[in-house]
Parts: sequence; C-alpha cells; structure tokens
Amino acid sequence: MDPITFSIIRHRLFRIVDEAVITLKHVSGSAITNEGHDLMVSLYRADGSLLMGGVGFLHHLTSAAEACKATIRRFGDDINEGDVFLLNDPYTAALHTSDIYLVAPIHHGGELVAWSACFVHVYDIGATNPGGFCPDAPDIFTEGFSSPGIRLVSGGTVNRDVMDTMLNMVRSPEMVALDMSSMIACNNVARERMLALIEKYGHETVDEACRTLIGQSEELLRERLRELPDGSWQSRQYIDVKGEVFKVALTMTKRDDRLVFDFSGSSPQAPYAINCTRWASLGGLFAPLFPLLCFDITWNEGVVRPIEMIAPEGSIVNCTRPAPVSVATVGAIQSVNNAACAAIGKMLDASEKYASEATAVWHANHFAVFMFGRNQHGGEAIGILTETFAGSGGARNFADGIDVGGEIPNPISRMANVETLETIFPLRYLFRRRMTDSGGPGRYRGGAGMEIGLTPHDAPDGGLHYVVSGKGADFPMSEGLAGGYPGAPNSYIWVKNNEAEPDPRNTDAGFSRSVDDLPGEQERISWGVFPLMGDDVLYVRWNGGGGYGDPLDREPETVLEDCRTGAVSRETAETVYGVVIDESLSSFDPSATAARRKALAAARIPAEAAE
Amino acid sequence: MSRRFSTTLEIEAGEICCRKCGHALGPAGAPWKRHAAMTEIPMRGAAGVPYSGGERVVLRRFACPACGALLDSETALPEDPFLDDVLFD
Repeated sequence: MDPITFSIIRHRLFRIVDEAVITLKHVSGSAITNEGHDLMVSLYRADGSLLMGGVGFLHHLTSAAEACKATIRRFGDDINEGDVFLLNDPYTAALHTSDIYLVAPIHHGGELVAWSACFVHVYDIGATNPGGFCPDAPDIFTEGFSSPGIRLVSGGTVNRDVMDTMLNMVRSPEMVALDMSSMIACNNVARERMLALIEKYGHETVDEACRTLIGQSEELLRERLRELPDGSWQSRQYIDVKGEVFKVALTMTKRDDRLVFDFSGSSPQAPYAINCTRWASLGGLFAPLFPLLCFDITWNEGVVRPIEMIAPEGSIVNCTRPAPVSVATVGAIQSVNNAACAAIGKMLDASEKYASEATAVWHANHFAVFMFGRNQHGGEAIGILTETFAGSGGARNFADGIDVGGEIPNPISRMANVETLETIFPLRYLFRRRMTDSGGPGRYRGGAGMEIGLTPHDAPDGGLHYVVSGKGADFPMSEGLAGGYPGAPNSYIWVKNNEAEPDPRNTDAGFSRSVDDLPGEQERISWGVFPLMGDDVLYVRWNGGGGYGDPLDREPETVLEDCRTGAVSRETAETVYGVVIDESLSSFDPSATAARRKALAAARIPAEAAE
Repeated sequence: MSRRFSTTLEIEAGEICCRKCGHALGPAGAPWKRHAAMTEIPMRGAAGVPYSGGERVVLRRFACPACGALLDSETALPEDPFLDDVLFD
C-alpha cells in the first residue's frame, strides 16, 4: 500500500487509543484512574492479537489480548455488534481480580473486524479487604468477584441483571458503577473512531495497514535483536513476606533474532497473594521490553512473536488455581518486570550501538497502601496512596535517573496532589518530599524516591485503616547496572503517638517535619491491615532507582551539588562516593578526595586477591 | 580488536578484561565473577540511612583485582549463587 496512507492509518490508530484514554479518565471518578493513571487502553485484531498497544500499565497489553481470545473461545459466534464483555479472572487472562477488563468487539458490515480493550483498577471488587489487595487471602475464592467472561452489554444495552449482580458484591457500588461506565464509554469511543477510520479508507485498506504494521514491528524487532550481541544474562528479585523469602530468578538468552526469558529456579508458588499467573508473567516481562527494546517500534503482535517465556507451572510466576494472586501486580508481576528490566539493561549495555538505551532498574517496589474508612464527608472512602506511581528513575549510561521519575512499565504514571488525597481521605500530610540517599549510588546516580508522613484529620471515626502489601521492606529491588548500587529499599513505619509522652523535640506531633521528630514508638510494618487512629502516623518511604557505574567515577563537583540539593548526604558522599566535602557544603577537598577514593578502591580488593 | 561486554568490561584476545586497566578475568564465553575481587557488605547502611532493610541482605561488589574498579554489583542473600552473564562467540 502507498506509504502515505499507511502512515496516516497508523497515526489514526495511535490517536484512537489516546482519545479513548482521555474518555476513560474524564468519566472515571477514581483517583487511582484519573490521577494515578492505573489504566490501559489498546486495540486488537479480530482474532484478539495485539494491534496497537496503548499507554498506561504495559503489562496489560498482552493479557488483554488473551482476554479477547478467551472471549472468542467462550462466546464463539455469539459475539454481536455493540456487545461488551467483562473478564477479570486471573486464571483466564487478568492480572488480579481488581483490574477488570472490558473488551468490546468492533463490527463493520456485520463482520467482526477488531476489538478494543481497557482496564481500570476498580474502586472495590468485594474481596476480603477493601480495594482488592488481600495480603492474607488463602486462595482466589476470597479475592472478590471473578469472572472468566460475562456479557455486560448486549447490542449497546447494559445488562442490568449482570451489572447489578456485580455491584451487589462490592463496597461503594456507586463508585464501581462509575468505573464501569468509564470503561464502557472508553470502548464506545474506540469503536466509533475505528469505524470512522474504516468508513473513510475502507475495511480492506485498513486491514492491510494493520497487517503491514504488525509485520513491520516483527521485522524491526528481529532486526534489532540481530544487532544485539548473543549471550545470556541473569537477574534475581527477592520478595519478603513476614520474614519468608521468595525469589524470581531469570536467565534471559538471546540468540540471533530470538529472546527467551527463562524463569526456572523461581520459588514455588507462595501461600501469600504475591503469586502471579502465566499470563501475568508474560505481561510483566513485556512491560519493560516494549519501551526498552521497542522505543521506536509500534507495540503489537509483531513484537510478541520473537519472544519466548519459560515459567515453571506451580511456581510463583505461574501459579495454579486456586492460589491467591490479589497482590500480584505489586508482587511477582513487578518482580518479573524488574528482573526483565535488569537483564535487558545488561544486554543493551553489552552493545556499542545500544548502550545509551541501557538503564538500571526503575522504582521496583510499589507500596500498595490502600486506605479505607469513613471520611470527613460521611462517605466510605477506599483508595490507594497514589504516591506509589510517582516512582524513581533508574540511572542510564549517560545520565542520572530522574528523581521521583515514574516507572518503566507505565509511561504516564503519576501521583495525585496532596490536596486531592486530603479531600478524599480524613488525613493530613505532615510532609511529602524527596528522600536523601534513596537513589542508588553510581557514576550516574539513581533517581531519588520520596517519604511521606500521614496522620488522621477530621475523621468521624477517629481515623481509618489501611492495607499494606507488596514485596516487603527487607530488600532493595531497583538493581544497579555496571557496578551501580541498587536504590534504597522501601520502609513502612507505624508511629504510635497516641500513648507517647510529650517530647521536648516536638510538642505537637501534628506538625512534625520528619519521622525522627515524632515521639511515639516506631514499629516497622510491611504486611497486613493496620489502624491509623488519633495522633498516630503512617510513615512511608519508597525506593530510589538503581545507579549506573562505579560511584568513585562520579564527578566530585556533581556529588557536591547532590549534597547541596539534599539528594546525597555528606556522609554518603565520603563513604560511598569518596568525595570529602566541608561542613558548610561549600566545596570539596581535591587531595583528600583523591586519597579517599584510592583507599576505597583498595578496600575492594581483599588481601588474598591483592597478594 | 576488543569487543564490548559492558560499560566496565571488554573482551580482548579471548579474555574478559577490565576496561580501566586491561586486567584479564578469565576466558570469554565463561562466567567471570569468580576471577574478580568480591567484597560482600551488609546492605543495611551500605549507602546511607534509607538502606534500612533486612540484616541478612548483602551487597556483593565485584571489583578488578588489579585496579579496584567496580565492575558489577548485585543484591543477594549470602547463600545464593552469583548472577552470571555470558556473551556467546
């Protein structure tokens, strides 16, 4: 086909997805969707294969393809114009029950020609814990409403019996109804724009462009893989749950134009909800692969074809029903994502041509803190602290990671304003700021994470409760690259100010400016449901990005500037970077720095190796 | 002619070498970390106050035994094997 028409159709497909995302955000009333951008919209071919991957959480792109295929298998010829299907069963295609897929067929002239699909993390799914993350769920049966595929809309009319049945099972049904409306509207817009495109250029032309686009992506990725060196690279991620350690192990092997991700050696499936299913793991490895290897290639089925995944059945990355999976998105899926990011980063770093695309791991540990309780408006408030989406950038081979710089698997992730969250929840932020020394040291420093302190405010019940899950606070997870240190780990502290004696350091805990100012006993937590009542404080600190290269190679002037801006402490400047800085942070001592760096380098060589 | 292995390592005449000083770390095509100078330090406090994780977690630092250049690092439990990276011929 002529390249101008092909290019126009390709760009129209991008714009269709963009407009559908805008619709989703405008209709949704949930901060996790329209502020945190925990969402995804994509277009699929008639057979369910990925046509145009959209923005949002990228680990959904391939899983939603499987949702379309599962719907085709289940409903066969009974898929009609104007239908919308709901699917959220993790053992069929979804990542966890809270992330509902609505997939909608697009018909033209009575023929099924494409699908649109989207997801949001719904306000609630009727699981044991509000919000859907259930740290102590023993199985999938306690993780809320779950459907392997059900017709929510028939021929453009909502099936009230189906919708009401689902809404009858969840908390805050009015908010969940809004979530569902946002996804129906999103799919409607995608369908209308897709049909307009077909009307203008004709089905055959659009279909040919789609086939060409997928073939082009496959060809381009295979060509890129051939340019990269053949080899194998290993990475590993740890998950800590109440002192028990689980591992995601990866050996990534590249030969010619094929890339194999082998997760053999990963832990057996856990009794905790950190597990993920096979489809979720596949999505998890594609989330960094799309932006890191396909930054200039359209994300579609063509990119999927050269990739193979080995995920042992019964393992933490391919669990079997009825293992619990509600924490998967911040558990094993994110570990798969991190492990893939680390291995791909090493492969890129081995290439003269593509080394500048290499990156250390970004923001590797979501802190899924879900607050719930009665708010100052008398309503039931449920929602995530969207700060978890603010992230921190991994360092690259030419630049520092971006402070609070987002994350690899979601190019549009962000956090809500403090005021938004204080409006939704009966809370007051004591502080929210960049965290010193959180970015992994390196020649290029990992981006900093942040720290926040929260206390109840104007709460009709004296406070509220929250669910903490994820991967624990024992291990750093944003691995460094080429000698760079990992970013600092997460930290969750329950500060019990209610019983605390007045402290001369701070007579009013409600205006404390750091966790050290708070008078109460501090308890480290990382898993379960906890109260936040009275004057108690929840302190959360999240991981920085991984560093790149030897910290002793960082320019001393840059380390000095890090100290002045608060990104690095003076102590770390000396002990890790080997830069000796005066107390007023006005200058560094060149000769003392040279001596210090020489000593630090020498200390890396054990005596037996030096002999 | 040398071939890139990473920012810190290269392959020269069939050997993996430190890019800073050229010290050889074993044959290309085989894991190299056993030939490096490895120090294992507690992750807790490794780079400032926020490194406050578990006591058993370590940071492995693989350095050139000749010049002390940091070649790679990894988070580990002491009993876990090294992460090996290999380039094929």
